[in-house]
Amino acid sequence: MAQPAFRPKLAGVCTVYRKHSHTQHIIDRFLEGYGWNGVHHKPAMDLVSLYVDQHPPEDLTPDRAARFPAMKVCNSIQDALTLGTGKLAVDGVVLVGEHGDYPKTEKGQVQYPRYQFFQQIVDVFKSSGKSVPVFNDKHLSWKWEWAKEMYDTSRAMRFPLMSGSSLAVTWRIPSVEMPSGVKIQEALCVCYGGVDSYDYHGLETLQCMVERRKGGESGVKWLQAYRGEQFWQAHRDGVWPKDLFEAALCRSHTLTPARPGFNDMFPSLDDMKRLVKNPVAYRYQHTDGLMCTMILMSGLVEDFNFAARIEGRSEPFSTQMYLPMPPGRTTLANFFSPLVNNFEQMYVTGKETYPAERGLLTTGLTAAGVDSLFAGGRKLDTPHLKIAYQAPKESTFWRS
Amino acid sequence: MLTRRTFIETTAIAGTAGDLLAQAGAPKRVAIICTIYKYLSHAQHMGDRFLVGYPFNGKWHKPNIKVVSLYVDQKPEGDLSAERAKEFGFQVFPTIAEALRVGGSKLAVDAVIVIGEHGDYPRNAKGQILYPRYEFFEQCAKVFEADGRSVPLYNDKHLSWSFEKAKKMVDTGHAMKFPMLAGSSLPVTWRLPDLELPMNCEIADALMVGCGGSDPMDYHAIEAMQCMLERRKGGETGVKSVQLIEGEDVWKAGDDGRWSKELLGAALSRSDSPMGNTVKDGRTQEMVLSGEARKITPHPAAYFIEYRDGLKATLLMLDGAVKDYMFAAKLRGAKGPVSTQFFLSPVPNVTYSACLVNKIEEMITTGIAPYPVERTLITCGILESCLTSKVEGHKRLETPHLDVRYHAPRTSQYCRT
Repeated sequence: MAQPAFRPKLAGVCTVYRKHSHTQHIIDRFLEGYGWNGVHHKPAMDLVSLYVDQHPPEDLTPDRAARFPAMKVCNSIQDALTLGTGKLAVDGVVLVGEHGDYPKTEKGQVQYPRYQFFQQIVDVFKSSGKSVPVFNDKHLSWKWEWAKEMYDTSRAMRFPLMSGSSLAVTWRIPSVEMPSGVKIQEALCVCYGGVDSYDYHGLETLQCMVERRKGGESGVKWLQAYRGEQFWQAHRDGVWPKDLFEAALCRSHTLTPARPGFNDMFPSLDDMKRLVKNPVAYRYQHTDGLMCTMILMSGLVEDFNFAARIEGRSEPFSTQMYLPMPPGRTTLANFFSPLVNNFEQMYVTGKETYPAERGLLTTGLTAAGVDSLFAGGRKLDTPHLKIAYQAPKESTFWRS
Repeated sequence: MLTRRTFIETTAIAGTAGDLLAQAGAPKRVAIICTIYKYLSHAQHMGDRFLVGYPFNGKWHKPNIKVVSLYVDQKPEGDLSAERAKEFGFQVFPTIAEALRVGGSKLAVDAVIVIGEHGDYPRNAKGQILYPRYEFFEQCAKVFEADGRSVPLYNDKHLSWSFEKAKKMVDTGHAMKFPMLAGSSLPVTWRLPDLELPMNCEIADALMVGCGGSDPMDYHAIEAMQCMLERRKGGETGVKSVQLIEGEDVWKAGDDGRWSKELLGAALSRSDSPMGNTVKDGRTQEMVLSGEARKITPHPAAYFIEYRDGLKATLLMLDGAVKDYMFAAKLRGAKGPVSTQFFLSPVPNVTYSACLVNKIEEMITTGIAPYPVERTLITCGILESCLTSKVEGHKRLETPHLDVRYHAPRTSQYCRT
């Protein structure tokens, strides 16, 4: 393939650069390249500067700076973006505000400074009279109002903004896509991890599939969270569909064996109650009526499994969004490869490969889930999440 | 090869059409003949799927199969055979013949599953573990012969450490007209990406990367490669020669162009577990041109396979460099190489064995082996001859005995739904 004439210069703006931090997974792929389409792919762009907010003893910044001298390590975000010229001197920004030592809110959200980093980036854009594409790793912010402001700013200043989780773009096992324009009656994800962390990934798992339904995305009306005994009660009462729950579990490769001596068996409700100490569910209704449920079952599974009921099909549609997760299963977190590849394209073309609104909606859903849990599982109306958009025509998940 | 005609002949031995109709819907009765039955042995993780079901196609699938008897050759600490027999209502028999006759005087099962993997068995000078699969098979065939009836038989992994024995097994299966299936999970597990070689493609060059010890893991790698190569134009026509080299010679052979560095690069680009610097600090890495793979593989081995139709293929066992199994090939007329990873899902679920169990179940319920046992036969022969080359000064060996011909099934057989 011919090299594009335009070779973008990128600035990295990150919280912490240590082994297996998101910064390491993402920035390393620009510096070292990564396996893609059967070759070791080197992005056709240069990461010319890097700002890292925290430097713990295991900091890899010095090692990477020494091995990649063309990358300038800067003491401020402004420096990273201007490279000493006084104005914006890069063609794209990679914002990775995940991991690092930051305080938590009373609701348990880690206050990663994505919004603050974004504001400083935008300040440079404003003073330079020029904006460039920004990728923001994971959800836009722990705080909805800030996330909305980030999104609104990008639209007002007309720069591409991608955010998101690897779950939306990684391998699927089986490798299936939600057919475009179908009527989805219910959708559900069974995954694992904590609140204000992997719940977001579960929501992205759901959203990247359901956004393809007939009429496109219309936003979310309300959300209700369940935890502990409320969760089990709701599960027993069939608040979320059991057939979809079971279909999702049958896509898992990491079902904790319910009995010693057995390596792979379907758990009973009693087994699940014994294995899962703190189950969490976010159940929510989209504006067009679609019901979705995101379920965290740490102790039972360690993967992300999706199931949906589609009108006209007798069997649930299901798949696993597969994360080759180090250090237990692999050495590389290769699910970052399709994520990087997606926003890499944005820096060249100036076009988001999937809509910024997906990330805005999942950010809002994550915050709503945290709020509902904090309110003891109260059903919360979410008029602010009336976010409409159309899914991209082309699939963007990893399949080549 | 099993055809529709041999299927009819096989089932005709089993009974009249009326008998078959009467049995429709009744579970198939199965005997499991294994070396050991303890946690995470092949017998346990495959055998249990017939007892408790397994995930398949988005459902917890319960096979319409009843395990009615079990033979276990060794009962080490952790043996689960008695426990399973009690819980699931079958008997553990002291001999294979009794297990097949379920304590009676005639063959009383509809299929036999032989799992001769794991357990304490000696190794030969080539490093092959002498699992008694041939001996187990012989005892099954003896019962079939004595009782005048044969049933489908699955043999886990390679048929035998010896090609001669393996050949006898396959010949017996054909002579007695019972369906036989054998082999590894790798050919039927998920592929990342979902790559199947086009039927009747022309393959210019092929390379497989594997890891782990010999002879268990090189076997899996050879069979994984074989399930791809057998789809080439003209089908499988056998192997002309093999050679196994080790150590620095492996890299020198690469420098000399005896195996393709481009294909190794393609294969390694599919790995999720490069070692070395990735373990150290998490980084992604290009391992071929940088020389890193060479640096961090303490005992590399190259298995060169020259097929009778001229195709040359190489297995590189790179223990220390990676921890997964990848395939790459150059097809004539295609731009770049094609490549994929054979996905070995995590322990303890090892769901890849569910993909294999589903194929065994298919044979048991339909009486037709979904893919030819000759694939495993040729794999046995390639492996044995490579290991002979290894102990005979790494010399090239002509393999006229590997005149194994077969055609790949038209329909893809790996997990993709």
